[in-house]
Amino acid sequence: MSWRRALSKVRFLLRPRPDEVEGDDLAEEIRAHLAMEEAENIAAGMDREEARHQARRRFGNVTLAKERSRDMWKWTTLEALWMDIGYALRQLRRNPGFAAIAVLTLALGVGANTAIFSAVNAVLLRPLPFADPERLVDAQETEEAPGTYPVNPADYLDWQAQNRTLEATSVYSWTNFASLAGPGEPASAAVTQVQANFFRTLGIAPAVGRSFAKGEDVAGRNHVALLSYAFCSRNFGAATGTVGKTVELNAERYTIVGIMPPTVHFPDTTDVWVPIDMTGKQFSQRGNHGLNVIGRIKRGVTLAQARQDLLNISLRLEKQFPNDNAKQHAVLFPLKERLVGGAEERLLVLLGTVALVLLIACVNVANLLLARATARQREIALRASLGAGRQRMIRQLLTESLVLSLGGAVLGGLGAWWGVRLLNRATTPLVPGLNPVSIDITVLLFTLGISVFAALLFGLAPALQLSRSQVSDSLKAAGQAMVGPSLVRQRLRDALIVSEIAITLALLVGAGLLLRSFIKLQNAGIGVDPHNLLTASLNLPDAVYPGLAARRQFLDQLLERTRRIPGVEAAALSTEIPLEGHSNGYIQVEGVSDPAISSTLIGFNYVTPDYFKTFGIALARGRAFDAEDLDHDAAVCQKMYEAFLAAGHGPPQIPTGLTLHAIISKTAARTFWKSRDPLGGAFVMGPVKVIVIGIVDDVKEYGIRAKTMAQAYFPLTQALPYDEYANLTLKTAITPAAVLGDLRRNLYALDRGLALLRPRTMEELIGSDTQDARSETLLLGAFAALALVLAAVGLYGVMSYTVTQRTREIGIRMAVGAKRTDVLSMILRQGLWLTLAGVLAGLLLAGALSRSMAGLLFGVSPFDSFTFGCMAFLLALVATVAYTVPARRATTIDPMVALRYE
Amino acid sequence: MGKRRAEDRVELIYGALDMLILRTLLWGPTHGHGIAKSIERMSEDALKVEHGSLYPALQRLLQEGWITAAWGISENNQRAKYYRLTASGRRKLVTETSRWERFVQAVTGVLRPAKTEENG
Repeated sequence: MSWRRALSKVRFLLRPRPDEVEGDDLAEEIRAHLAMEEAENIAAGMDREEARHQARRRFGNVTLAKERSRDMWKWTTLEALWMDIGYALRQLRRNPGFAAIAVLTLALGVGANTAIFSAVNAVLLRPLPFADPERLVDAQETEEAPGTYPVNPADYLDWQAQNRTLEATSVYSWTNFASLAGPGEPASAAVTQVQANFFRTLGIAPAVGRSFAKGEDVAGRNHVALLSYAFCSRNFGAATGTVGKTVELNAERYTIVGIMPPTVHFPDTTDVWVPIDMTGKQFSQRGNHGLNVIGRIKRGVTLAQARQDLLNISLRLEKQFPNDNAKQHAVLFPLKERLVGGAEERLLVLLGTVALVLLIACVNVANLLLARATARQREIALRASLGAGRQRMIRQLLTESLVLSLGGAVLGGLGAWWGVRLLNRATTPLVPGLNPVSIDITVLLFTLGISVFAALLFGLAPALQLSRSQVSDSLKAAGQAMVGPSLVRQRLRDALIVSEIAITLALLVGAGLLLRSFIKLQNAGIGVDPHNLLTASLNLPDAVYPGLAARRQFLDQLLERTRRIPGVEAAALSTEIPLEGHSNGYIQVEGVSDPAISSTLIGFNYVTPDYFKTFGIALARGRAFDAEDLDHDAAVCQKMYEAFLAAGHGPPQIPTGLTLHAIISKTAARTFWKSRDPLGGAFVMGPVKVIVIGIVDDVKEYGIRAKTMAQAYFPLTQALPYDEYANLTLKTAITPAAVLGDLRRNLYALDRGLALLRPRTMEELIGSDTQDARSETLLLGAFAALALVLAAVGLYGVMSYTVTQRTREIGIRMAVGAKRTDVLSMILRQGLWLTLAGVLAGLLLAGALSRSMAGLLFGVSPFDSFTFGCMAFLLALVATVAYTVPARRATTIDPMVALRYE
Repeated sequence: MGKRRAEDRVELIYGALDMLILRTLLWGPTHGHGIAKSIERMSEDALKVEHGSLYPALQRLLQEGWITAAWGISENNQRAKYYRLTASGRRKLVTETSRWERFVQAVTGVLRPAKTEENG
């Protein structure tokens, strides 16, 4: 309809009493038309009667023409819709129980979908909260070992200088925790070092103050800081007054130059951003990896072109530095892909789950509508006999469905709003928190869309079915109990129930698989005894503890004091802790030339002698470190470190003949020595020879789900010349929380500026590593339980309805001598048949769907027969109860009452 | 007016009636009956138009602003509503006609049997 026609309709509606004005006009016009035709016919030789008759015939239906002409000026469809809605509301008010159940069922389905979709929308659909986010990429490097890794700083400088496809490149460090000086005991802050152009590359600006200026990412000028909004309000209050103040991190003062807006959480949960030193020593060393690199592709350049460009640079570098850069190639990924990561599969599985829940809700409502259809048959027949067309009737019935569905949408939307608030408040978010999960216009449109779709889904079949019923049939069958329920309708209901059971079983199997996988994760064992284990980190400021000697002295004192705390059984220091390992490299085992072995990564951890005792890691063979190893390796590493410092930007001159000590894991022994005995053997790491003095049991260093990797342990003193970060772990005889106060006091006594960073129990660490699995299991479990309840209610409803329908038939059967058990088995047979068909279809459906969640499972096959069997049994059991109750009621029917029924 | 067999009459394609009305009014203002007669004459009675169906179409054209209406007196001294083509209606007719001709060409092209094959 053109705007002009629409406008003229509005004008027409606004005019007073339009019908009469227009009606009179039109009537006169048509009268004139007929008169002219009549006159023409008379002129052609017809008599008056014939002429009038012919004119009328030629004109067609006068009333219809008038009506149609007048309709041209009206919003007929809109008016009819209002009428339908009013009628639907009256109908529903007459059946408040039915309306309430239907709306509630739909609200559950729509609400669950809205909540999950709002997460999908935030994470997968909405662009990242950066400027032009589709041009942002994340860069990684390949290695001799498979996979991609963070970037080597020296390589990065070459990429930055030589690339022609990126508008900007920038780097950021891993987020580290540092001591934050305050009025009382020091607190901790999550600090990320970034290149000065980091925020300009992302296209985000501070809410207050300025971003880092060019040239501020150089030693001497880099004592400036940007604060996160939350950190600022926690520690300083209002953002405006904070710029220009200073913040003291790890004994160094930084001038606050700006506050980021509250929406910026990148990377992760950074409190303070400070400039990295782009002239630092790491930027002149090849071989090691540790830098996160982002880039912005130039306009008009494709990702493939940028990939090729950086690959070419890498290939040149590989030729130039064949030792350090072997197989070290740049790889680009869209930034979003990297950030969203595994959340995609998880969210899509959840979305699929709630879609199935909605489907079940629809099936239930469709069943309710079908049951009601019987009661309404006579009303429909009456309306049909009064001239309502089939289309009109279907429209009316669908309007009723739509009213129900929209009612469900409003209620479900409110529930989802509440659910999203809950989701956002959860401490560990289900999704990487780049975009906050919120109910925005997209989500609302989605909700509206699925409720209209749902209305069609559950309303169409009953509407078609009902409108088909013939007038004469229903009016004739005034006492239709004798006829029994219409066969078609019964079939439809059976099909609905079977599909409902099948979908429910698929959901139960999904939830069951996740539950089994979660239980396996919980019991997986990470190779350490997590009971009464407390771990915390220390970040020793370079200014206070400038080298090995100072660090070692302090850490020895701390360890000594810690051991004396009542309740502490053992204490150890290490650079890595289980599940959160991140240091690894290559070793060359003497006598092994297989390149497949020498390009295998092995994890590194630098520990004090009591590390294995503290974590409960069994020593399989050989011996643990002793004080002598610590001293010896400290001296060797100090020598190497000094040579390294003396070398400046050239290659360090390391003296030959140096030896160090190591303990390796069983997997390392198997991987690198095969059947030979590693004990007393040695491997080469760069310029030094490392002697294996012991073999310990395996530990999951990189997460419970990660494959067990080869692991090497070295005396902590090897790391102390250059590593200022250490983890302190305590095995306690009492609950770990009880010693935390003593631990803090001890640390404070030794150094008033040092914070005890991130104190956590090992159980908490395991918990956070399995948090995503826990959330998934809980959510899917809740949805499956919901589905089970809906299915049981549905089955119960259908069976009760059947019994009611067949009351008279049962009465007759019993009157002519059928036993109660006969009646019972007759009804039970129907329920059993439906359940069996549903379970069979459900097993097939579950088998088809479970493959899609294989990535979420741990130690459980997606076709795990135990889970399939258990869930089929559980569902069959619940279904049996659901149909046995109405079946038993059938047997209590009194034949005499039944025959008088209706 | 010779009698034609019913199947020779063509049901009007939706929208074609509007065009026929506009076309008729090209020759000058006339009333509903006049329009009906003109269409019959133009199509040599091949188009089956119930006179009654003209009136909804006329309302539609009025709303679009392609025609205007005013009461007048007919040839046999009867009060009748006269419809007149507006400038925008004239423009519409030109674009619609060319579109219509293209459509007819396309349909004829499809329906015409491949004569070359018959001959060859």
